[in-house]
This record gives sequence, structure tokens and C-alpha cells, in this order.
Amino acid sequence: MRVYAVYCHPDPSSFTSVVRQRAVDTLRTAGHEVRSSDLYADGFEPTMSATEVSEYLDARPPSPEISSYCDSLTWCEALVLVYPTWWSGQPAMLTGWLDRVLVRGVAWELSESGSRVTGRLGNVRRLVTITTHGSPRYINLLEGETGRRVIGRALRVLCHRRARTIWLSLYNIDRATAEQRHAFLDRVERRLQRL
Amino acid sequence: MRAVVVVAHPNPHSFGQAIAATARTALAERGHDVTVLDLYAEGFQTAMTLAERHAYHGDHPIIDPMVARHAAIVQQAEVLVFVYPTWWSTVPAILKGWLERVMVPGVSFVFDERRRVRPGLTNIRRLVGISTYGAPWPLVKAINDNGRRTLLRALRLNTGLRTRRSWLALYKTDRSTPAQRAAFLRRVDRKLRSL
Repeated sequence: MRVYAVYCHPDPSSFTSVVRQRAVDTLRTAGHEVRSSDLYADGFEPTMSATEVSEYLDARPPSPEISSYCDSLTWCEALVLVYPTWWSGQPAMLTGWLDRVLVRGVAWELSESGSRVTGRLGNVRRLVTITTHGSPRYINLLEGETGRRVIGRALRVLCHRRARTIWLSLYNIDRATAEQRHAFLDRVERRLQRL
Repeated sequence: MRAVVVVAHPNPHSFGQAIAATARTALAERGHDVTVLDLYAEGFQTAMTLAERHAYHGDHPIIDPMVARHAAIVQQAEVLVFVYPTWWSTVPAILKGWLERVMVPGVSFVFDERRRVRPGLTNIRRLVGISTYGAPWPLVKAINDNGRRTLLRALRLNTGLRTRRSWLALYKTDRSTPAQRAAFLRRVDRKLRSL
């Protein structure tokens, strides 16, 4: 399968970075073709500009700044997102990546009348999220698991009709033991082996 | 009361800015002391930096003077109003980044002697969210209203359960008529005059 892994964490020595490495290694060993983006290392600008907002509904090719991300998005059969959950959702850097890269003509299209939006990421058949939460599970439930819904619903409706969403998360990471972290890495590996 | 209006819209002539201006006027005319934090106009930096990530769990998690100023203003406020367009079912990246960088330990929450998380913003008595959506109401609810949940649930955990919450939403904004927009501004005006 063609797999596009998007990784978002400011710290190269973070646990999330280890998770990303294990995920990419597992996917390559399993024979998948993997492309990978590191948003912080790329120096990605996550803030949507005034021009991007005012021209959002216009049909135009993606700007050079985002075109390589758009290309990988439309190329892949599996999209893998690796990030830490902050404020119950994606880090602003990744939120901004979704804001700026999921543009018309790439991720969605508008009908002639302008009344219907249809997804264009039918190439994506697996939507995988690998994340860590600082807080325990019940806090995330109280907060509404917004990060999970953004991907499992808002992003999911753009993908293939039968796309499978796979959610791998480690709660309460601030108090996790080394064994729990290793167990999580093993879980990620096992799940990605049968993508 | 002291009120803070946090605005996340890049275009100074947008409907979002008209909402913010209406909110500010309504609050000021009722005698509240209003501060507007216009994130785009101030050039607020969206993504948490590596240095901030390292400082996050330390004694001085705030590095950027702009972040320190915003935190001090919010800590003095009784009313907190957010005005933003909903993108991909949640808040724009710049507002997500504001939560991550300003609402840090010691500001939004504090640790008690048993290292349990406790609300830090009990000074906030009213939490108001005002958002414009591209999608119609049923779709917003089906996708899960993630921006609303982030502010009214996740942030409310940090202001305490006695904080009163209000939500004002305009759906299908892109196809709304001038009359519908004017009616929405009147609704914003009424709501903020009756806090």
C-alpha cells in the first residue's frame, strides 16, 4: 500500500518521535511504500492567510507552499497521523496543516450550484491516528474527544466510502511507566503489520 | 465586569470582524471594561515552539512577551468571549495555538499538593462562543461540534463548573443573505447586553 505518514511534534527527542520511527519502520518492513512529512522540521506555516481565506471557495491549483503535501495526500492509500493530543485535539501545527492543505480540488469539490461539498480523497482507504494524551481517558471523554472526531468524522467523510479508521492512543502519558510506553509501541507495530 | 474578546479571523473586513465589533460595542455600552485580543492583527504565533514545549512543565512555561500579556489579561477577566470561523469542525489553528501557548500550567490550571489538576481560571464567570459555520446545522452536529466542545467543555474544566456558558452560531454562512447576517449581529448584540 502507498502510505503517507504526517508527523507533528516540536521535539525530536520526544516519545512521539519514537512512535513515528517505529510506525514508519514497521510499515516499510511490511512492504509498504512510505512517504513521510515532519511539519516542525519542514518549518510549515500553520496559519491560514487572509488571501487563502478569502479565496477558499475558488477553484485554483494548490500554491507551491502546499503542493507537495497535496500531492502526497492524493497519492496515498493510507494516511497515518502521528502527534501528541493537546487541549483534547491536534496540535495547532497539525490543525493548521488541515486548514491549509485540505483545499478545493484536492480534498473536496463544490457542486455547480455551490450547495454541495463532495470529498475527493477516495484514494484514502485507511485513516490511522497514533497519539498520546497527557490526561487520563475520562478527562478526554469529558472534553468530548474532539481530536478523535475531527479525524474520524470531519476528515473521514472526504475519504473512500469504506475507509477504515484506526485509532491508537496512549492515555495519561505523563504518568506512564517505561513498560507502558513499550507496550504501546508494540501495539502500534502489531496493528500496522496488518494494515 | 472585565471582558476579553478573543478574535481569530484574518480578514479585517470579514463578517467575523463585524461580529467582534458588535460584541465589543455591546459589552462597552453595558459598562464592561473590554479588551479585544485580535490574534491575526497582533501577529500571534500559532505553533508552540520547541523551547516552549521544554518549558511547559517547568516553573516558567511562558517565554513570549505577547503570550504573557494575553495570560495576564485573561487572568483578570470575568467574561471571556471567542469569535472565530469554524474550519474542519473545530477552531482555526491560530486559536488552537492560543489555547496551547497561553492556557498553560499556572494560568488555566494549577496542580494541587497531590499533583491533581485544578481549575486556574475561576475568575471567569461567563464563557461565550460565537462562530460561523460553512455547514448546515445537521451536518455540524453529525460531525461533532468540536470547536464548541473545545471551548465549552475542555476550557470550562479550567474555569470551574459555576461558569455560565453561551453559544451563538450562524450556519451555512457562505450562502447566508444580508438579512440573515444582520439578524445574527442583532442576536450577538442582545446576548452580550444581557450577560
